[in-house]
Amino acid sequence: MISFILLAGGNGSRMNQPVPKQYLLLAGKPVIMHTLERIDDIKDISEVIIVCNEKYHDLLNNYISSYMLRKKIVYADAGSTRQQSVFNGLKKVTSNLVIIHEAARPFVRKSDFELLINDEAENITYGIDIPFTVLKANNYINGTLKRDELINVQLPQKFNVSSLLMGHMKAIEDNLLFTEDASLLFHYGLGQIKVIKGNSYNLKLTEPMDLILGEIIYKEYFTGRD
Amino acid sequence: MKTCIITGAGTGIGRATAIDLSNKDIFDTLVLIGRNPQHLNETYAKMNKKKDIRKIIYDLSDLEGIPDLISEIYRFNDRIDCLLNIAGTADPQPLLNTSIENMKDTYTVNVFAPFMLIRECVKYMKNNSEGAKILNVASTAGITPRPGWLSYSSSKAAIISMSLTLSEELAEYRIKVYCVSPGRCATALRKKLAPDEDPSTIMQPEEVSNVICQLVSDEERCLDGQNIVIRRKI
Repeated sequence: MISFILLAGGNGSRMNQPVPKQYLLLAGKPVIMHTLERIDDIKDISEVIIVCNEKYHDLLNNYISSYMLRKKIVYADAGSTRQQSVFNGLKKVTSNLVIIHEAARPFVRKSDFELLINDEAENITYGIDIPFTVLKANNYINGTLKRDELINVQLPQKFNVSSLLMGHMKAIEDNLLFTEDASLLFHYGLGQIKVIKGNSYNLKLTEPMDLILGEIIYKEYFTGRD
Repeated sequence: MKTCIITGAGTGIGRATAIDLSNKDIFDTLVLIGRNPQHLNETYAKMNKKKDIRKIIYDLSDLEGIPDLISEIYRFNDRIDCLLNIAGTADPQPLLNTSIENMKDTYTVNVFAPFMLIRECVKYMKNNSEGAKILNVASTAGITPRPGWLSYSSSKAAIISMSLTLSEELAEYRIKVYCVSPGRCATALRKKLAPDEDPSTIMQPEEVSNVICQLVSDEERCLDGQNIVIRRKI
């Protein structure tokens, strides 16, 4: 069995909306519910830990009841950083393995989660090639990077819970902040991390324009409608 | 056991559809909903008894009871595959005679009850691995102006819009939403709208039910998400 952490603690400040992006409607449904519905009948997922601000618990409970979700759902408090939010979620996990996903990525199919679950590797991230050039720079270019050695890291990811928790404890001790967990685990050499090829539909909703694109992606990728 | 719920099954298009479906190999269980026991019994008497048929006396203007109604049907049948919203009402009045009660009563049966039925059924339908179907019976009165039929025609416009919206919203669950708009059809409701008309000269309920049966059959996969006008030209 595997636990599932859904990160929903973002405040969506870049969306310029009164509520965080995970509660906005996408194709008529709150963004966060797209993921929660798709994982609801994956039998291997034993528990869902939603990491979010406490003030949204009532709203989420209302959604969960209306959509008649059957999974056991618990809440963890959102932290002041993404890393702290993941750590808060990890502390609630009761399985040896965990999938980490973020509510702002609603274009992930049930089969994508199942692929992670069924893979024997314990630490896996989705990733896609980078189709553009990335350089190191501040005000001036100060370094080059080889594009074919880089990947664009996507969620969902799967991790061994003990290893990831250990990594988080070390990061707290070292006062280091990572923007996602494959980087953290790799930094501390706590396990090999497999990369599974993701796809470009797995957009993370960040800017207002992403919601416009999101409606198109949803129609094309999930309903096949004109 | 593939299950289909039919509202308004006591008369008119609902009755014709119930009878028609009882003779077709589409559903195993037909749940007939109507408010008049005698009318439902008359429908039942004309149906093929090889089907599993359940009769439920229920007045759809009781909106609050609809969640329990549907959960009870689900508990008994363990699945809901199709919902046919056929029940309708009309009290044609010119604007200056149209009371708020008239508007509320008409919208309750023609719009709010279908909305509640759909919402409650979808809670179960969305877990059907092979999908499900919802069909709403609107009217050509919902797409062309009908002076004197304000509450009825506007309620039918609402159900057309609701159908198109839900067709998109429910597509990921593989729930297909159909909307049919019959033209003049010889039903008791039509008699209220056009009392002087000779019913034998216009489209019959069986002609509408024939289209409905085609739409809810397993073979039909392409006509959801649009308002389908059913009209006999001659």
